Amino acid sequence: MKDRYYAGFMTDKPTWSEGLAAFRKQALVLIADIIALIYLWFMVSYTWNYFAHHTRSFATLPWWVMLIVVVEAAALWQNYGVSIGMKLVGQRLVDSAGRRISPDKRALRFLLWHLTPLAIISLAITTEWKPWHDRVTELTMVGSDRVELAPRPWYRCSWSIAVVLICLSTLIAAMLITRVDLHALFSQASKTRRIWGQVVRPDWSLLGKGVRLLLVTVFMAFVATLFGVVVAAPLSFLAARNLTQGLVGRTVYTIVRVTMSIVRSIEPIIWAIIFVVWVRLGAFPGVLALFVHSVADLTKLYSERLESIDPGPVEAIRATGANRFQVILYGVVPQIINPYLSFTLYRWDINVRMATIIGIVGGGGIGQSLIQYTRVWDWSAATVMMLLIMVVVWLMDYTSSRLRARLG
Amino acid sequence: MAKRPRKSRSAKPDTFLQRVAALKPRLYAFLLDWGSWGYIAYCFMYLLNRYWYVRHVNFYGTLAVPAWAWPIVVVGTLELAVLSHAFGHSVGLSLFGLKLFGPDYRASSWQVRLRRYLWWHLALPLQALSLRKAHPKGLLVHDVRSESRMLVVADIQEELPVVKPRKWYLTHRGLMTVALIGLTFWLGWMTTQINLGTLFGRASKSAYLWKALVTPDFEHFVTPDPQLRDSIMGGILESIYMALLATLLGGVIAFPLSFLGARNIMGFSRAGWLVFSLTRGFFNIFRSIESILWAVVFAVWVGFGPFAGVLALTLHTIAALGKLYSEQVESIDPGPLEAIAATGARRWQVVLYGVIPQIVPSYLAFTLYRWDINVRMSTVIALVGGGGIGRILFYYKNEVGRLSNAWNQVGAVIVVIVAVVWFLDYISGRIREKIT
Repeated sequence: MKDRYYAGFMTDKPTWSEGLAAFRKQALVLIADIIALIYLWFMVSYTWNYFAHHTRSFATLPWWVMLIVVVEAAALWQNYGVSIGMKLVGQRLVDSAGRRISPDKRALRFLLWHLTPLAIISLAITTEWKPWHDRVTELTMVGSDRVELAPRPWYRCSWSIAVVLICLSTLIAAMLITRVDLHALFSQASKTRRIWGQVVRPDWSLLGKGVRLLLVTVFMAFVATLFGVVVAAPLSFLAARNLTQGLVGRTVYTIVRVTMSIVRSIEPIIWAIIFVVWVRLGAFPGVLALFVHSVADLTKLYSERLESIDPGPVEAIRATGANRFQVILYGVVPQIINPYLSFTLYRWDINVRMATIIGIVGGGGIGQSLIQYTRVWDWSAATVMMLLIMVVVWLMDYTSSRLRARLG
Repeated sequence: MAKRPRKSRSAKPDTFLQRVAALKPRLYAFLLDWGSWGYIAYCFMYLLNRYWYVRHVNFYGTLAVPAWAWPIVVVGTLELAVLSHAFGHSVGLSLFGLKLFGPDYRASSWQVRLRRYLWWHLALPLQALSLRKAHPKGLLVHDVRSESRMLVVADIQEELPVVKPRKWYLTHRGLMTVALIGLTFWLGWMTTQINLGTLFGRASKSAYLWKALVTPDFEHFVTPDPQLRDSIMGGILESIYMALLATLLGGVIAFPLSFLGARNIMGFSRAGWLVFSLTRGFFNIFRSIESILWAVVFAVWVGFGPFAGVLALTLHTIAALGKLYSEQVESIDPGPLEAIAATGARRWQVVLYGVIPQIVPSYLAFTLYRWDINVRMSTVIALVGGGGIGRILFYYKNEVGRLSNAWNQVGAVIVVIVAVVWFLDYISGRIREKIT
C-alpha cells in the first residue's frame, strides 16, 4: 500500500505559517516599542530644547544616534521587563523549563538579540522561529494568556510607567507647542473689555438686514443639502460593500470610497477658498463648498447604512426572479428611506452651522457680515448677527432632533 | 356622532389642563399652516420684486410692504390657513396626525365645512369668555356648531372605513408640499446667486489651480519657510496638539458639569431644576457659537497664536461634550442606581458606583469623536488668528501673487491635512467601535 504514494505524502507538511506568526509577533513588539520610545524621545527633546536653549525644535542629537539608542533601549526593555509592545501584543518572556530568569541570562539574551537579522535566514530553512538568543538562553516569548503570574500593581510595571511618562511629556510638550500662556489669560482679560461693553448693547437697527442675510445662509444650506442628496443617494449604492460585487464593482467601490474620504477630510472652509478663486466671491462658492462636502459626508453615512441592511427581504425578492433594479427598489429602498431622511436632516443642521462660518473666507451669507463687523470692531452689530445665528442654529437643532427621533 | 367609548386621551379630558393639552396638536397644526402661508406670501413678494419691481420700476430699490398693508397680510394668511383647515387636509394637520370628520367618520359635506369656517371666527372670542366652562369633550365652538370633529387619526384607526386615498397631486397637502419645496428651491437658487454659467465658463480659468493642487510642493515640509519661520510638519503638529489639549481640558471640565445637566441626577426639586436649566442653557448657548468666533475674542484676549485657538476649541468642546455627556447620563439604566440607593448610599456614592461605571465607555467614545472634530476645526481656526496648520495654508494662499508656486504649497498643506485627518478619523473610528 505504502509504496503507491510518493515519499512526501506521509510526512507532515512544513508549517511555515507558525514560524512566521511567531516572528511577526516579535517584530510587532519591537516596532511598537521603537515607536513609543521615539515618541518619548521627541517629546522630551522638545521640552529640553525649550527650557535649556529657548528654541522650539524636536531635534537634539543626530538622527542615527537617536535610532541606535532607541533600538538598544527597546531590546533592553524587552529583556528586563514587560515592555509596552509586549503588553500591547500580549507577550511575556518565560524560561522554557519554568525556572526563574536570572539577570545574567537576560544579559546574554540581550547580547545575542543583536544576531536576529542572521536568524531570519534560519527561518527560511527550518520553518521554525527559534533565533539564537532564544535557543542559547532557553528563554522564549509566549502569549501572556499562557503565563500565570500574580498581577503586579500598575505603578511597579515598566510599561505603565512608560505610559505615564508618555502622557506627561505629551501634556508638557503640548502646552509648549500650543504656547499656553496662563499669565496672558488671567492678566489681559481687560483687553476684551471693549468687546463686552459693546456686546451688551446690540445694535437692533441691523435686525432687518441680519434676517435677510440669515435667510441667504439658510437657503445656502438648503440648496447644498438638496443637491448633495441628489448626488449622494445614487453614489451611496456604488459605495456599499454588499452591493458592489465582482471586479468592476469592487473597483468602482474603491474609487468612490477613497475619493469621498479624501473630499470629506478637507473642511468646507478650505473648499470655499478654492471655489472663491473659481467662481469669485459671493454665496455661490459657499453653496458649492457645502455641496461638495455634503456629498462626501452623506455618501459615507448612506453607504454605511446600506451595508447594514437586512439581507432577508433582498433575497426573498431576488428569489421571485426580480432583476437587480427591482431588488433595489423593493428590497433595499424601503429599509433605508427613514435613515436616509434622518441623515439628511442631520446634514442640513450641520450645513446651517457651516454656512455661518463659511462666510469668513467670502462665502456670503450672515457669516461674511459677522466677520466684517468683528474686523472693524463693531461688536454691537456683530452681536445681533451672532444672536440671530444662535436662534436659527438652536431652532434647527431642536427641530431636526425631534424629527429624527420620530423617524427612528 | 357615533357613541362609542374611546380610549384616547383627547376624547375625554376631565381637567382644564388636560382639555388645553388635548387642543395642543390642533394649535401646532394651525400655527404651522399659518406659517407656511406666510412663507408663501414672503416668496410671492420676493419674486414680485425680482421679476417686476427691480426690472421695471427701480433697479436699486426694494418693494416693501407698506405699514397699512401688514394687517392685510397677517389676516389674509390667517384666513387661508383656516380655509385650508376647513376645506382640505392641510400639511399641518397631516403632520400632527389630525383629520376632519363628519358624523360616523365620513367626510364632511361642503356646507358643513363652510359652516365650520364661518363659525371659526367666533370660536376664539367665545372660547376666551368661557374657557373654564368649555365643552366637556374638549370641543370648540365651531366643532359643535358645524357638527364636525378634528380627531387624532391614530386613536380611531380601527373604526375608520377603508377609503381609497386620492392621488397626491389632487390633495391639498400634496400640492402645498410641492409648492413649499419648489418655492424654497427657486428662492434658494436666486438668493445664493447660483450661476452655472460661471461655474462651467470659468472652469478653464481654474484649471491652473487644480493642476497646482495635484502637484504639491513639499519644499517646506520639514525645512521651515524663512518668511513664515515654520514648516508644514510643525504646523500640523501644532494643530494636533491644540486639538488634544482642548479635548482633554474640555472633557475634564465637562465631566462634572454633565451631572449638573442631567435631569435624572438633579431630581425635581426647585434648586435641582434651576441648576439643571442653567447648565443646559450654558451648553446650548455656547454650543451654537462656533469655535471660530470664540477664536476672534480669544485672539484679542491672549494675542494671536495657538493658545487662543486652544481656548476657543476648549470652550466649544465643554459645551458640546457637556450636552452629549449629560444626555448619556439621562439614558442610563435606573436599576443599579435604585439598588445602590436602597443600601442607604448618599447621592455622590450613587453617582460614583451606579452612574459612572455605566457611562465610561460612551464618554470615551464621545471624547474621541470630539478630538476628531477638534482636529478638523484646528486646521482652519488660524483664519482668525488661532494658530495651527491653517496659518501656513492661509499664508501661502495669500502669497499667490508673489510666489509662483504658492498653490503648489497650498496643495502640499492640503495633502498633509487630508492624510492626518483621515488617519485620525480611521483610528478613532476603530477605537470607538471597540469601546461601544
